[in-house]
Amino acid sequence: MALTIDGKQVEATPGQTVLEAARAAGIDIPTLCYHPAVTPYGACRVCLVEVSVRGRRRLVTSCCYPASDGLEVFTDSEKVRRARKGVVELLLARAPESARLRALATSMGIGEPRFPSVTHGERDCILCGLCVAVCREVMGAAAIAFVDRGVERVVATPFREGSEACIACGACAAICPMGSIEVRESETEVEIAPFKNRRPALRCQKCGKVIAAAPFGERLQERLGEKLTLAVMTCPECKRKATAVVVKKTGAVGGAWSHARPRQGKHV
Amino acid sequence: MTTKLAVNLPELQERARRQWDDLKHGDQPILWVGVGTCGLAAGAAKALTAAREELAAHGIEARIVPVGCIGACYLEPMLDIEEPGGPRVCYAEVTPEKARLIVQSHLVEGQPRPDLALGTVGEVEAPGIPRLFDLPMFAPQVRIVTRNLGLINPEEIGHYIADGGYGALQRALGMDPVAVIKEVEKSGLRGRGGGGFPTGRKWRSGREAHGEPKYVICNGDEGDPGAFMDRSVMEANPHAVIEGMMIGAYAIGSHQGFIYVRNEYPLAVVRLTKALEDARKHGLLGDNILGTEFSFDVRISRGGGAFVCGESTALMASLEGRPGEPRAKYVHTVEVGLHGQPTVLNNVETWANVPLIIARGGAWFASIGTEKSKGTKVFSLVGKVRNTGLVEVPMGMTLREIVFDIGGGIPDDKAFKAVQTGGPSGGCIPAQFLDTPVDFDRLTELGSMMGSGGLIVMDEDTCMVNVARYFLEFLQKESCGKCTVCREGVSQMLFLLNRICAGEGREGDVEVLLDLCELLENAALCGLGTTACNPVRSTINYFRGEYDEHIREKHCPAHECRGLFRYEIVAEKCRGCMACLKECPQGAISGERRKPHTIDQEKCVHCGLCFAACRFDSIAKV
Repeated sequence: MALTIDGKQVEATPGQTVLEAARAAGIDIPTLCYHPAVTPYGACRVCLVEVSVRGRRRLVTSCCYPASDGLEVFTDSEKVRRARKGVVELLLARAPESARLRALATSMGIGEPRFPSVTHGERDCILCGLCVAVCREVMGAAAIAFVDRGVERVVATPFREGSEACIACGACAAICPMGSIEVRESETEVEIAPFKNRRPALRCQKCGKVIAAAPFGERLQERLGEKLTLAVMTCPECKRKATAVVVKKTGAVGGAWSHARPRQGKHV
Repeated sequence: MTTKLAVNLPELQERARRQWDDLKHGDQPILWVGVGTCGLAAGAAKALTAAREELAAHGIEARIVPVGCIGACYLEPMLDIEEPGGPRVCYAEVTPEKARLIVQSHLVEGQPRPDLALGTVGEVEAPGIPRLFDLPMFAPQVRIVTRNLGLINPEEIGHYIADGGYGALQRALGMDPVAVIKEVEKSGLRGRGGGGFPTGRKWRSGREAHGEPKYVICNGDEGDPGAFMDRSVMEANPHAVIEGMMIGAYAIGSHQGFIYVRNEYPLAVVRLTKALEDARKHGLLGDNILGTEFSFDVRISRGGGAFVCGESTALMASLEGRPGEPRAKYVHTVEVGLHGQPTVLNNVETWANVPLIIARGGAWFASIGTEKSKGTKVFSLVGKVRNTGLVEVPMGMTLREIVFDIGGGIPDDKAFKAVQTGGPSGGCIPAQFLDTPVDFDRLTELGSMMGSGGLIVMDEDTCMVNVARYFLEFLQKESCGKCTVCREGVSQMLFLLNRICAGEGREGDVEVLLDLCELLENAALCGLGTTACNPVRSTINYFRGEYDEHIREKHCPAHECRGLFRYEIVAEKCRGCMACLKECPQGAISGERRKPHTIDQEKCVHCGLCFAACRFDSIAKV
C-alpha cells in the first residue's frame, strides 16, 4: 500500500506504523520513547505528525499510528512544529541539564527554555518507558515498572527495594535515551543504579575479570545454549584472543567465521 | 448455589404484580425510606430508627420499604408514609424528632401533616398537599432514566419486573440482533458519559468487528467532582443498567459483561451485586436466558481510586489487572478492546436508557430532545443553587430553566455568575448564555461540553480563576503521568494559576496559559489531557477581567483568593461587641465596647476569622 508523506509517495506494508514507513523511506521524524525492539508506547509525544483523514486533520503519534493506503501525512507543518516545540520545551523544563534534550532543542531552533522547572526528572528521566519495556518484553525479567501516578510517577522496583527478578543485564541502561541509568561494576557485584539492584558478578573464566552479572550470564546460557557457553563465560579480550588463535589455526580470514569454533574444554 | 425459580417472564410478571399489589393494597401501612447515599449521609438511618421505635411503642406493624434517591437530595432524609388505600405522603428533611411526630400524627392519629409534607407520590391525593411531581423542581423534568428512582426497592427485583422490567429484554430476544441495533440507531441515543458518540453506531461496529469473545462493559467510574448521576442510578435502579447491557450484548454477540464501579461507591456495588444474584436466580442471567439460546453473565469489578480509569482504554487496562493508563485510540476499542477483543463500552446512563428504547421504540425516544441530541439527560445540579440534587430534563431545555425553574435559583439573593458543565473536562458558561438549549453540540460550541452531567452553579462570590485552578489541581493529581504533554503541561498551567491566585501573577501569564491550552488540546494522549484546556480557556474567554485584575491589581474581585482582598469593618453597622477582636489571632482589631472597631490592615493576615465571628454582618470583603 502507499501513503503520502510530505507530498512524497511512500510504500508501506500492512501492520506498519507511519513512523516505520517514514524511516524506511528515509524520512526523518524525531523520537525519544520509540525503539524498534519494543512495543511503541506513544508517551513522549515528540514523534507527532499531522494526518488527514476524510478531510479532517489532527496530530497523532507516528510511532503508533497505523499506515494505511491513501493516508496523507505531514511531518513538518506549522501545527506539527508548534506542538513538537511545546513538547520539547516541556521536557526541557523537567530535565534542563540533559545534553540530549538540549541538542534536540537546538536542532529545532529552540533557544532559552520558556517554562520554569516545576517538575523534576531524577537523573533526567523523562518517563519514556523504554527501560520498563525492554526489561519486560526483551529480557523477560520485568524487574522495574512505573510506580505512582502523574507527577509522582517514577520507574522503580517493587516496594523500591533491590529486586531479585533483576538479572543486571544492563539493557535498561543501554536503551535509555537520557543516560539516566548506570551500570556499576565492583569486584563482587554488578549494580543497576538507581534501582539498587545488586547481583553477584560473573568473572571471566580465563582472566578473572568481571564481565557481567551472574544471573545475566545464566540467562544467556539458557537462551544461547551449550555451544556458546565459552562465549558467555569469557571477557571480550579473552574472547578476541581465543578467536585469533582459532582463525590462525584454521587459516580462515574474513568470512569463514562460521566454521571456527572454540574447542570444547580447550582454552588456548 | 442458585436455583432457577422460573424461566418464564409472564409468570415472573404475574408474581411480581401480585407482590406489588400485596404491598400497596395490603392491610399494613408502608414506610418508604430514602436510603441512597445522599439519604444515609443526611441521617436517614437515625430517622428510620426513630420511626421504628415510635411504631413499636404504639404497637403498629408497618412495612418498611427502602428506596433510592428520588432526586431532591437537598431535602433528604425523606420518609414517605402510605396507609392502605391512602395517599403516599412524602415528608422531607426528616430528623429523628420529626420522624416520631410524623408517625404519631399520620399513623397513630390518622392525620397526615401538610405542614411537614413535601408532596404526594402516585395516584391518590391528600387534601392540602400538592403532588410531588407537580412541584416546581420536578414538574419540568422528564423522568426516563430516573423514573423508578425513589419509587421502588432497588433490592427487590419484583418491583422492577412489576413496572415492566425485563419486558424489553424479552422483546429484544425475539428480534434479530441487527434489528435491535437499528432501533437504537433510530433513537439517536448518544453516549451519556461525556463523549456523546452515537450508541447505535458503536454497537454496529461492535457487531461487525471480528473476533470471539466479545465484551460489553458498563463504565461506572463516574469521577467528575460533583457528579452523582451514575451513582444514583446504580443504587436506585440497578436492574435498568443490567437489562440495558443484556440487550446490547445480545445485539453485538457478546456473552460476558463487566460493570466497572469506582471503589468509592460501596453501596452501588452492594445493590448491583444483589441485582445480579436475583437476576440469575430468576433465569434472567446465565445460560439460556428466558429459554432462548442467549447466554450472558456479568462480573463486577471495582476501581482503585483513579479518575483516569474512567477513560475507556485505561478502564480496560485496569480490568485486565494492569495499571490504569490509556493508550492511543487509533485502533478503536470496538475492534481491539478488553484483552484485545471487540468491546462495547458504554456509560451507566447510556445503558439505562436502552430498555425503554426497545420497549417503546426508537421513534419515541427520538421525539424527545433536539435535532442532534435525542432523549433526556440526567444532571447533578450542585453548587450555589437552592434545589441541589438529581434532575432529568429533555435535551433542549435551557440552562435558565434548569438553574432557576428546577433549581430554584441562587440562594441568599446572590447574582448568578456561571454554570460549569462537564466537570474537569468542561468549561464555565456565563449569564449571557443562560438561554442556551442544553445539548451536546451547543455546549461544545460555547467552549464547554455536556460531559457526564455535572452542573455546578456559581455566583458572584465565586472566583473564576480559582475555579480553573481547582480543576487543574484535580487533574494534576489524577493525570496518569504517561504522556509528556498532560503530565508536564497541566503542571505548568497549575503553577501559573497558583501564582496568579497568590497575587504573584505576571503580565503574559494568560498568553502562556492559552499556548499551553493549545498544546494540550492538540498533543495530549487521552481525553483527560486534551480537555484539560477547557476550564482554563473558558474562564479566560468569558472572565478575562478577573484574570487581569488578579495579575495587574493583585486583587480578587470575587473576594475569594486569600490575601487578594481586604476585610474592613463597616463602622455604621458595627455594634462594638468585640467578638471579632477576640477572634483575631494577630491582634489586628482594635476598639472599645459599643464603639465601632477597626482592622489594622498592616497586621491583618486575611484569615477571615473575624468575618466568621461577626453576627451583625458588619465586616465587608473589599
